[in-house]
Amino acid sequence: MQEFSPSTLLVLVPLLPLVGAILTVLLGRQLGAKAHLPAIAGIAGAAAVAVMLLAATARDVGPAHGVHAEPVRPVEMIATLWNWATFDSAYAPPAGSPAADPHLTPQDLAAGKDIRSFSIPVALRLDPLTATMLTIITCVGLLVAIYSTGYMHDDPGYPRFFALVAMFVFSMSMLVAASNFLLVYVFWEAVGACSYLLIGFWFTKPEAARAAKKAFLVNRVGDFGLAIAVFLLWMSYGTLDFHDTISPDGVIMPGIFGQTRLADAAGYVGGILGTAICLLLLLAACGKSAQLPLHVWLPDAMEGPTPASALIHAATMVTAGIYLITRSAPLFAACPGALTIVSIVGATTALVAALIGTVQNDLKRVLAYSTISQLGYMFASLGTGTLLGFTAAIFHLLTHACFKALLFLGAGSVMHSMGGVIDMRRFGGLRRVMPITAATFLVGSAALAGVAPFAGFFSKDEILAALHAKAWPAAHGDHHAAAAADGPFQLARFAAEASHSAGSAVGLDALDRPETWQILFWMSLITAGLTAFYTFRAVFMTFTGPTRVPEGAHGHGHGHDDGHGHDSHAGHAAHAGHGGHAGNAHESYESPWTMTLPLVILAVPSALVGWLLFTTNWLSHFLSATPSLTAPAVASTATPHMFHMNLAIQGTLAAAIGIVIAAIGHLGRRSDGPQMERFLGPLQTLFANKFYFDPIYSALVVRPLEGLALVAAMFDRYVVDGIVDSIAGIPVALGGIVRRSQSGLLQRYALAGVMGVLAIVVLLAWQLRG
Amino acid sequence: MNTMQSLPLLQNALTVGAILFSLGLIGILTRRNLIVMFLAAEMMLQGISVSLVAWSRYHGDWGGHVLVIFVLTVAACEAAVALVFVLQAFSRTGRLDSAAWQSLREATVGRTVDHELPSIDTVPPRFPTLTPAGILPAADENEPLQREHV
Amino acid sequence: MTPLPFDPLASGPLLAGAVVATAASLWLLLPNGRDTSSARWLGTLLGLGALAAFILAGRRLGGVGEEAVFLIVSLVAVVSAAATIVSRSPVYAAIWFALTLAGVAGVLLVLGAQFLGVATIVVYAGAILVMFLFVLMLAQPAGLAPYDRVSNEPFLSALAGAVLLGVLSLSIGRLSAAPAPCCGVPSRATATPTAGTQPSSDVASESTTATVASSVAPAIDPLAENHVARLGGELFGRHLVAVEAAGVLLLVALIGAIAVVSRGEAAQAAAASPSAGRSAAR
Repeated sequence: MQEFSPSTLLVLVPLLPLVGAILTVLLGRQLGAKAHLPAIAGIAGAAAVAVMLLAATARDVGPAHGVHAEPVRPVEMIATLWNWATFDSAYAPPAGSPAADPHLTPQDLAAGKDIRSFSIPVALRLDPLTATMLTIITCVGLLVAIYSTGYMHDDPGYPRFFALVAMFVFSMSMLVAASNFLLVYVFWEAVGACSYLLIGFWFTKPEAARAAKKAFLVNRVGDFGLAIAVFLLWMSYGTLDFHDTISPDGVIMPGIFGQTRLADAAGYVGGILGTAICLLLLLAACGKSAQLPLHVWLPDAMEGPTPASALIHAATMVTAGIYLITRSAPLFAACPGALTIVSIVGATTALVAALIGTVQNDLKRVLAYSTISQLGYMFASLGTGTLLGFTAAIFHLLTHACFKALLFLGAGSVMHSMGGVIDMRRFGGLRRVMPITAATFLVGSAALAGVAPFAGFFSKDEILAALHAKAWPAAHGDHHAAAAADGPFQLARFAAEASHSAGSAVGLDALDRPETWQILFWMSLITAGLTAFYTFRAVFMTFTGPTRVPEGAHGHGHGHDDGHGHDSHAGHAAHAGHGGHAGNAHESYESPWTMTLPLVILAVPSALVGWLLFTTNWLSHFLSATPSLTAPAVASTATPHMFHMNLAIQGTLAAAIGIVIAAIGHLGRRSDGPQMERFLGPLQTLFANKFYFDPIYSALVVRPLEGLALVAAMFDRYVVDGIVDSIAGIPVALGGIVRRSQSGLLQRYALAGVMGVLAIVVLLAWQLRG
Repeated sequence: MNTMQSLPLLQNALTVGAILFSLGLIGILTRRNLIVMFLAAEMMLQGISVSLVAWSRYHGDWGGHVLVIFVLTVAACEAAVALVFVLQAFSRTGRLDSAAWQSLREATVGRTVDHELPSIDTVPPRFPTLTPAGILPAADENEPLQREHV
Repeated sequence: MTPLPFDPLASGPLLAGAVVATAASLWLLLPNGRDTSSARWLGTLLGLGALAAFILAGRRLGGVGEEAVFLIVSLVAVVSAAATIVSRSPVYAAIWFALTLAGVAGVLLVLGAQFLGVATIVVYAGAILVMFLFVLMLAQPAGLAPYDRVSNEPFLSALAGAVLLGVLSLSIGRLSAAPAPCCGVPSRATATPTAGTQPSSDVASESTTATVASSVAPAIDPLAENHVARLGGELFGRHLVAVEAAGVLLLVALIGAIAVVSRGEAAQAAAASPSAGRSAAR
């Protein structure tokens, strides 16, 4: 730490996994079964450096001051590596726009003094948000990589897998560390590419290839939104940098999230343009984070290897949308309507995904819908636009990364031991044969369900608190009277600006009413109950009831006895019609230590991190030093840190109801027996068909496009090709005329040659005549 | 400088050379027999030789003579090699026909065959007859004494 | 060398008539599969007419005897050449070709090339032609082969050849119109630097003095004494390398011919099946 400057360390975080990836690619064949070494070494180094950076940043931020949050000074460090693609005189902001330099007079502007160059500084930034994200990414990535050495050990694509994982960690680190929207876009695409490659890792499997294609195409929709948003940002602000830069002549060029602009309360574009930017950013986030219109790719992405699902599709990549919106908090703060849309999208997604999750029988798909649902939670929290909402979202992101990675890795452990079977109806009672997996899975489930005092309880409670504060501002008013005086004033001012601008933005802003937030709050609370239900349904189906294992599962034969009566095992197994496998019940199906160790490691933070971070209030204090969150519109909404007992009771009650219903339905029963869903009637059909999103998209998007493609193909084949072919037919026809002269007779050829020579001779004689 | 070095001799000799060359060219283009084609080629060489010597005479130097000597040499080489080829071709096809070799034609073009082949000459060849004298040698009547046609 | 007032070689109508007559005659005479005697007669008459036209177009030579000799030998050469290419039988063609060679040898002798005239007779008539006849004996089937009685594109070929002849004659006739090419050549022969290096310059400079650069006297006179000796001196002096190359060429041709024959026999022995012959024939 003493030898390395923070900027060097910051560069090391993405660099080490990149080197690891490249080495894995280059040496993969030589290393063979040791191909994981470069990748794991790189990710481990990155994780260590990230933790050091987190510590350094935390030291800069300073300790939390009790319960009363004071305005914190933004902490930011920029490391510019090089400038990429510089164009002079690329942009002259119109006078009066937020991009214009306020220090210049209109005469200066007319004289062209504000003409700026366009360049893309490859700059990395370090602030609390980035440090938190980097730590999550690298630590989860490290554990997943270690786990993968066991899970993937006999896969022919072993080196490829680790190269991709390291590549993903690199891309994701760059995404959260980049200090420029264009770089964010680049690595936004890069993580999408890694995701595509990892979903389609078993590309010979048609479902995997199809799922990879689907994920990529659905993500394109969101990426399109991000691209347009970046264009609009450039048009509006004249820069794509997050940070302030100082031009060679000493003028400070304000970055989008730079200190200069943050200090200026009116520094952000509102109105219809700002709302458009925010909604486009939201579209991008929806694509990457699998929110409601674009969520369809995530469940299918479970065709990829389970570690990849854990790493990318549960813990890290899908949080890119959360990160993006948190980073863009000042932009959203200027557009309350867009913020409300964020919450509506998030809460709806959370509810819909939870409903679908209740009837899934595929363990990984349950977790996938759970992921969508939890991400929806985070979006709902972000949409409140308050500091509490943003920090709660990141808090939930952190805890979710822990317990969802744990759950996925646990599911992978089950799948690994069950010979690739993931359908919960085909096995049961596994707690006796996979004790470590079962215990850690239970911890993760409790965290997901929001059972106190596990991690999810606290983060979910903060989200509910953020929503509650928006829904019933009066109830919270006494806690932050000063903030309330300032915050609504800000919002009202922006709303007034927006109403001057255009009507549609006003329409969106009209959504920002307590009634809306009350609905969203109740949706979230219902979702909490549903979450608890489907989580424990999965736990009960998988780990309780009679012990059954599917055909083809491979016991490790350690003779590890779980201490329960042999007779009951054998009896259950025989009763289940697997008499031939009765002996297997005595064997251990537990996974190797490389797989169980990460489970245990992840179980610890899943259980504890919520309590630790909540009671110390460290995370929210730390995050509030992020420059984006120090914008007046955001920072002014800071509320005193407190534990909302009534909300905790409500959340716990919802979770308890869910768990109880799940226990009634599934505890101790055969997992392939009749299930709860039979009570749902037609709703069950609706949920099982995932609200018919795929058929609707197919009918609305895919089929028309296919029809269009068919028309285009026909046009191409019969019109374009017809023209080309008929043009090509002309030389063929001409050739057919002279082809007959190709008789193969030597003397005819000689005659033709002689006549040609003769023509030349006659021509020469004619030219040279007297 | 005598009169033989005059322009008329040059022109006349060149005309003879041109006629020989043209006739040889026609022969090589029309005749199907490989041997006759060969003779026609040699005839073209003769036309060239005449022209060269005429020019040499006209200019009064040895160049044309020397060149004709080399033409003779090359013609001899050519004759040796080409006749071997002709023999090879004959042994493969049984014919001395240049049209027997058509495999380089376009795939869609059919093989060129002689459609209106003339019938065998109805006019029998006439050989000079001599007054019989001496004793008739005992000869096999079945064995022809001469070819029907040469 | 005053140009004639009437230049028959360059006169268009005469030449055009000669060309047309030549083409028609050869078209009629060439083997066409019909063998009608009237066509032959007509072709012969047209050929004679063409010949007459060419004789008319020719220049008058200096002496009567000289001209007669040239006329006779060239007529022999040309008529027998025409007969060579119109003969149905290759044997007849070979014999007519021998007569052509004799005529050519005569023309060469008239032109003063004594050695070449004799060499043509010896090399061609004595060696090459005999080789042709050997080959004919080996290869020619009994009777008249079908392919000897038809021609390949006789009309077009005859026309092309005749037009070529016309163009060549026209160009030859125009030689007089060009600035006399003869005058500068001897002086160039002595004026060029290479003239001093040529071994025959000693012989050539007998009648001239080296100091007179613009002498009109020819460097050599082919009709002078020791013709063959001087030709030999030229050949083995200035053109020695070329002679060596020609010798190598002869050797290569010899070896090549033997190699091709032996390999062809080996291939035939290897094939040894009638299908090979048939496939090759296709």
